[in-house]
This record gives sequence, C-alpha cells and structure tokens, in this order.
Amino acid sequence: MLLARVIGHVVSTKKDEAMQGRKLLLLRPLLVDEANPTQFRPGANTIVAVDSLGAGQGETVLFCQGSSARQAAGMQTLPVDAVVVGIVDAVDVLNRTIYPEAKPAKK
Amino acid sequence: MLLARIDGVIVSTVCHPSMHGCRTVICQPLNERGEADGAPVLAVDSHGAGQHQRVLVSSDGAATRTLVGDPKSPLRNSVIAILDDSS
Amino acid sequence: MRLGHVIGKVTLSRQDPAYLGGRFLLVQPWSAAKYAKPAAPLASNAGLVVYDSLGAGVGSIVGFTEGSEASKPFAGLTPVDAYCAAIIDEVFHQPPQ
Repeated sequence: MLLARVIGHVVSTKKDEAMQGRKLLLLRPLLVDEANPTQFRPGANTIVAVDSLGAGQGETVLFCQGSSARQAAGMQTLPVDAVVVGIVDAVDVLNRTIYPEAKPAKK
Repeated sequence: MLLARIDGVIVSTVCHPSMHGCRTVICQPLNERGEADGAPVLAVDSHGAGQHQRVLVSSDGAATRTLVGDPKSPLRNSVIAILDDSS
Repeated sequence: MRLGHVIGKVTLSRQDPAYLGGRFLLVQPWSAAKYAKPAAPLASNAGLVVYDSLGAGVGSIVGFTEGSEASKPFAGLTPVDAYCAAIIDEVFHQPPQ
C-alpha cells in the first residue's frame, strides 16, 4: 500500500457493467523525501484507482494495489487492481508529524 | 524462480505463528555470472542450506503455505533446491 | 518477504471496515546498499505503507510480505498488499568477501 494525493478524477460512460456507479480517482503517489524526511516527495507515475470511501480532490489517501485490491468491501466482482482503502488523518515520520503540514511559525 | 546465494539468517521472536520453528534465510539474487543482482529477499528454508551456498528460491505462495502447514500464512518465498556447486 | 525499517506511522480518518485492530506503518524497504551498511540514511524508496498487528514501532526492523499473500492471514476479505509478518531481533548478514 502507498500514500497518494488525489489529483483529479476521470469519467467514463461506456465501461464494464460491474463498474457502474464507481468513482475513478487520479492518484499521485507520495513518498517520504529522502533528503528532507519532514516532507513528501511526489512519485513519478499517475495511478487510476476506484474510490470506496468518498475521497475528494486534494485529499491524502491510502491505496492498495494488485489482487489484494479487489478484497475491499464490495469490490470482489470489479476488474480493478487499485482501490482507495483509507483517507489519511495524520502521518508521522521519525516521530514528527509531516501530515497535516504544520503551519509556519510566526516571527 | 530465482538463482540466489544464502548470505545470512534472521532471528525473530514476535512473528506470524506460521513462522515459528521456521528457518528464515537472507537470499541474495545472482545474475548469470554469479554476481549479486538486486536487493536480498527473505525465504523459508526447509532444506538446511548453508552459508554462501547457491539455491533456488521460488515465490510460489501456495507451495510455501503448504510447506509451513498454515493456509493463512503470509509467507511467499521458499528455498526449493540447493544447487550442486559446480558453477 | 523483504526487510524494512519502520520510519513512521499513518493514521486514517476513514478506512475499509475490515482494518479494525491493525495499524499502518511507513516502512523503508532495505536496498542492497542498506544491507551492507544498516545505519545508512533514508534511501529513495521510502514510504511503503505496511499493515501491522504485531506492534512494531519506529526504528524496528520488520519482515514484510507483499502481493496477494499479504491478505492471506485475515479471516475475511481484507485489502492489504503489504503485511508485517515478523519483527526482527537480529540480522546475520555476511556476504562472501
């Protein structure tokens, strides 16, 4: 599983029957920046994932890939390999909260 | 299947029940010239492969679950053969 | 299974109902260079999220499985593609000279 930011969505009318009523999100994976572990670094690829929780544009989500993805609630019959399985509340790296971003301190 | 060299072992107390009593080895994948190729993987070893011996590692999860006797095991890689050292 | 360092944790506000009782760890999988020098700093592949029910914390070395095997330990259908199978006490790694 990887963290990702929702960068958009795609719409399709003609699609597999089982996909009716499913929202498709465009995700950009988020990796921990190796040079500065207090922030994320966007991955190079873009992934389309099915939404099962109601994630919106700009939110940070957790998504699952491969055959495990279909094991999400109500996804068993869908021909998909990436599903959003969680909406992220907080991320701590090396005991520092890097998401949600801390507001810059006032001088 | 991967051609690999046994580069070590790991020890774990807190682990999935299917790993209890199981030897878990560090397998370094090798290329055709016998040089290290890529990051090491962990595999269950039931054959007693020795340090630096060359082995075949299979990523067949179903076979590994049969090997450890637990259909709910998360283990995937197992040592399925120790190669005769003729290179 | 691969080895990785736990570098953080993820808290979810909404999640798949099957995840009850588990935690999500941010893990840096060990590269070949990391085996040679375990104290090396973060590598470029940090950020894999691994499901954990054993209780690993930041700094632990864990063995995690990926792919469909990661969802095998669960009783019901659970969308997990990275599962923490072991908290490692010792790594004995000695490649030939």
